[in-house]
Amino acid sequence: MNTPAPAEAIGVTVAHVSKRFTHAVKGEVHAARDVSLDVAPGEFLTLLGPSGCGKTTTLRMIAGFEMPDEGSIAFGGHDVTRLPANQRGIGFVFQNYALFPHLSVFDNVAYGLAVRGESGSEIGRAVGDVLALVGLAGYERQFPAQMSGGEQQRVALARAIVIHPRVLLFDEPLSNLDARLRVQMRDEIRALQKRLAITAIYVTHDQEEAMAVSDRIAVMNRGSIAEIGTAETLYHSPRSRFVAEFIGRANLVAAQVIAVRDGYVDVAALDRQLAIPRQGSALAAGTRCLLLLRPEAIVLGEPDATSGTLAGTVRTRTFLGEKIEYTIACAGVTLQVVRHSQGVTDAFAPGAAVGVQIARGAGTLVADASQGDSP
Amino acid sequence: MVVSAAARPGFGARWRAEPAFAVALTLLWLLLAFFILYPIVALVARVFIDQGQFTSATIVKVLTDRNQVAAFRNSLLLGTLVGVGGTVLGFGFAFAATRCRLPPTVVRLIDIAVLLPLVSPPFTTAIGYIFSFGARGLITYDLLGIRNVSVYGLTSTMTAETLTYFPIAYLTLRPMLAAIDSNIEGMALSLGASRWRVFRTVTLPLCTPGLANAFLLLFAASLADFATPLILAGNQFPVLPTQAYLQITGLFDLSGGAALSLVLLMPAFVVFIAQRFWVGRRFYVTVTGKGAGQAPFDSVSPIARVLLVAACVAVTLFIVYLYALLVYASLVRAFGANDTLTLEHYRAVFTEGLRVLFDTLIIAAFATPLGGLYGVVMGYLITRRRFVGRTAMEIVSMIHYALPGTIVGIAYLIAFNDPPIVLTGTAVILVACYVFRYGPTGIRTTMALLQQVDPSLEEASHSLGAGTGTTFRRITLPLVLPAFFAALGVMFIRSMTAISATIFLVSISWTLVTVRILENMTELRLGMAAAFSVIVVIIVFIVIGAIGQVLRLLRTPGSKPATGLLAA
Ligand SMILES: Nc1ncnc2c1ncn2[C@@H]1O[C@H](COP(=O)(O)OP(=O)(O)O)[C@@H](O)[C@H]1O
Ligand SMILES: [Mg+2]
Repeated sequence: MNTPAPAEAIGVTVAHVSKRFTHAVKGEVHAARDVSLDVAPGEFLTLLGPSGCGKTTTLRMIAGFEMPDEGSIAFGGHDVTRLPANQRGIGFVFQNYALFPHLSVFDNVAYGLAVRGESGSEIGRAVGDVLALVGLAGYERQFPAQMSGGEQQRVALARAIVIHPRVLLFDEPLSNLDARLRVQMRDEIRALQKRLAITAIYVTHDQEEAMAVSDRIAVMNRGSIAEIGTAETLYHSPRSRFVAEFIGRANLVAAQVIAVRDGYVDVAALDRQLAIPRQGSALAAGTRCLLLLRPEAIVLGEPDATSGTLAGTVRTRTFLGEKIEYTIACAGVTLQVVRHSQGVTDAFAPGAAVGVQIARGAGTLVADASQGDSP
Repeated sequence: MVVSAAARPGFGARWRAEPAFAVALTLLWLLLAFFILYPIVALVARVFIDQGQFTSATIVKVLTDRNQVAAFRNSLLLGTLVGVGGTVLGFGFAFAATRCRLPPTVVRLIDIAVLLPLVSPPFTTAIGYIFSFGARGLITYDLLGIRNVSVYGLTSTMTAETLTYFPIAYLTLRPMLAAIDSNIEGMALSLGASRWRVFRTVTLPLCTPGLANAFLLLFAASLADFATPLILAGNQFPVLPTQAYLQITGLFDLSGGAALSLVLLMPAFVVFIAQRFWVGRRFYVTVTGKGAGQAPFDSVSPIARVLLVAACVAVTLFIVYLYALLVYASLVRAFGANDTLTLEHYRAVFTEGLRVLFDTLIIAAFATPLGGLYGVVMGYLITRRRFVGRTAMEIVSMIHYALPGTIVGIAYLIAFNDPPIVLTGTAVILVACYVFRYGPTGIRTTMALLQQVDPSLEEASHSLGAGTGTTFRRITLPLVLPAFFAALGVMFIRSMTAISATIFLVSISWTLVTVRILENMTELRLGMAAAFSVIVVIIVFIVIGAIGQVLRLLRTPGSKPATGLLAA
C-alpha cells in the first residue's frame, strides 16, 4: 500500500501569543495569555486542560482561523502569523468532523486536491490510497450521513492528510465516539502520525487520551500553559498543584521541609518524618509545601506498630476488575489507594484497621501555591 | 470563522478587497429604501400631512366614525375567533398525525387535502362556501329547500377563514409535537398518571408556546384577510381591510383608506411584538433534542382516538367537498339553476380570460426568480457576513412580510402614483410588491438552513486550501440550494394567488387572475370564477410537485429530507 509520501517535517513555534474575546455573557475573556510552544519536527504535542482553558483558541490561531492579538507563530522558521488558513498547509480535524454533507466520501477527500488543481487521475489514485490507509476502501460512493461516527472520523482524517499537510491539527477529534472506539482510534491516529512523520498538535480534555497519544503534553489552565513535559514527567514530578491534580489521581498532603540531604529531602508529613527523593532545585528547610503521593505509591498491609507504618482505617473499597480502589482515613486525612487485584486475598473491608506505608522512592514535593512562598 | 469578527477590516479596505460584496450591499440598501421604507413613509405622510402641514384630522375622522370603529371591533373579534378555532383545529390534526398511529397513506392524504386551502387563492374556500350555503347553495337550497337564506355575516366568514388558515397552525404544531420526546410522556404514564392527565400536565404545557405562536399567526392572517370578508362578510359585518378597500375604490378617498390601513397596523404591530419577544423566547423550552417518530406506546385512549380521527376526517372531507363543489360549478352551465355539463366556462377562461392568465404568469415569471435570488442573497449576507447595519437590514427586509397586505398595497399606490416616480399601471409595481412582500420567506429559509450549517464546514474548506470565493461556490451555495428552490416555490404560489396588496395595484394594462375571479364573483359569473380558481389550483399544484421533485433530487443520500421548506 502506498502511504502519502512524508513531506519534510517542520517545527512549529508559538511565541508569546495572546487572544482576547468579547463574550456575550462573560464579557471580556482572555482566552489565551502569553502562550509559547516549541513543537519539534515530527513531534506529537497535546494541549490538555479543562473545558474553557483556551486549547481550541490556541489551536485555531495555529491553524489561521483566528488572528492573535499579540505574539507570533512560525512554521519551520517562517512567520505565518498573518497568513490565512488556506495558505498555511495545515490539515485540520474538527470535533464535529465538518464533513461536507452534499459531497460523497470520495469528493470530500478529493476536495483539497481539486482545490490545488491536481489532475483527475492523480486525485483518484491519492484518494484511493488514503482511504485504504484509514481502512475505508470501498466507501467512495457513500455520503457522510450514511456513515457511523467512527467512519466519519476516518473520512475527516483522510481528508486532512491526503493534502500532505505540513502540520496536522486535531481539536478533540474523539469526543463524539464511544469509549471503546475512542481507544482504538487514538491508537490509529498515533500510529498514522508516526508513519507519516507529520508534526501534530492535538487538543483534548481527556488526560488518559493525552498520555496515550503524545510525545509531550502542554497542560493549560485559564489561558496559560501551566507546564510542558512528557506524560511520565508530568505524572511523577509535576511542578504545580494544578498539574498534579489534573493528570492522574493525586493525594496531596501538607508537608514541611525539615532538612535537605544528599538525594533526599526530609519532610514532616502525615505525623511522620519521611524521606522524599530530591528532584531539581531543593526546597529550603522550613518551607511549607505539598507532598504528592499517587494512589499506587501507597502500600496497604496488616496493622503494624513499627516505625515506618502508619495506622489507618478503610473507609470504602471498590472492586474494579484488574484493580481495587480504597479510601483510607490516616493521620487526619483521607488517602486514595489502588492495588492490583491479582493474588490479593485479604479483604480490607470497610471499617478494618490497616497499616499504611509509602513505597520506597515514591512521593514528590509540590509547591503549595496557596502558601505564597513557593520555591 | 472565514469571517472573523475580530479580524473585521476597516470599511474602506473591505470595499477595495471585495467589490462584489460592496456593490451588492449598496444595491440592496437602495432597493430596501425605495421599495420598503419609502412607501411606508409616503403612507404615513399622506395621513398626517396635508398641504405641508401636520394634521390629525384624517385619523380623527376615522377613529370617530361609528362605522369604522365597528369595523375595527369586528376585525379583532374575527381574528380572535379564527385564531382560537384554527389553533384548536390545527392542534387536533397535528395530534392525530403524530400520536394516533395512523397509516402513513392516510396522513399523506390528509396532508394534501389540508394543503389545498394554503396554496389556493385565499378566497377559494369562501367561494366553495357560497356554492354550499349560499342563496342557491347545494345544502341550503337543494337539500334543505331553504329560500331567501343569507349566508353573509360573522359565522360564515369565520368558518371559511378558519378552514383557510388552520393549516398554518397544523404545519407549525406538527413538528413541535413530533419533537417532544415521547419518553417524557411515557415517563409520566409510568408514574401512574392517566393518559388524559399526561396530556393535560405534560403534552399540552410543552406545546403552549407553539399554541400561542399558532394563535398569533392565525390572528394576523385573519386580520389581514381581505378576500374572504369581501365575499362572505356582507354589509352587516364590516371589517377593516374591506372598509379600506371600499374607501379607496368606492369613495375614491385615498387618505381615508390610508388612515384605515394605519388603524389596522396597530393590532398587527402588537402581534409582531408579542411573537418576537414573548413567544420567541419561550420556544427553546420544548426543544428536547431527539424527535422520536411515532409514539412507542398508546398515548391516546381508544375512544379518544376514534373521536379525534373521525373529527379530522370529517373536516378533511368537508374541505374536499368544498373544492369538489368548485370543480362542479366550473363544469355546469349555471350552478344551482342549470346543471347541464359544459366546458363553456373553461372556454371563456382560455379566450377572454387568456390575457389575464398571461399577465399573471408573466408577472409570476419575473417575480419568482427575482424573489428567490433576493431571498438567498439576503439570507446569506445576514447570517454569514458581518457588516454595519446588518440587524437593521434584516428588520427592514421583514417589514412588508409582517404587514397586512392592505397596508402594503395602499402604501405602494400612494408612493408610486405621482411624480417623481410613477409606477402604477406598470408590471414593475406588481413584481416589486411580490418580491419584497414574499421574498422574506426565502430569507427565512436561507437563514434557517445556514444556521444548521456549522461554520466549521467553511473553515474545513479553508484549511484544505480553498479561498473565500471557492468556498462560497463549492460549499455554501450547494448547501443553500434547497432554500433557493423552496423560495422559488413560495414566490410562484404567492404570485399566482395573492390579492390583498395587489388588488390596489392592478390596472387596465396589467391585471391578475385573483382580481378577475373576485370581479366574476361580484358580477355573479360564478361558473367562470370557479373555472379560473380550478385552473390556478392546478397550475400551483403542478409547480409544487416540480419543486418537490427538485428538492428530492438535491437531497444527498442519508440526509434529512428538505421538504417542509415549502410550508414557510
Ligand atoms: N469566538 C468567541 N467569542 C467569544 N468568546 C470565545 C470565543 N471563542 C472562545 N471564547 C471563550 O474563550 C475561552 C476559551 O475557549 P476555548 O479556547 O474554546 O476553550 P477550550 O477549547 O479549552 O474548551 C472560553 O471562555 C470561551 O468562552
Ligand atoms: Mg475546545
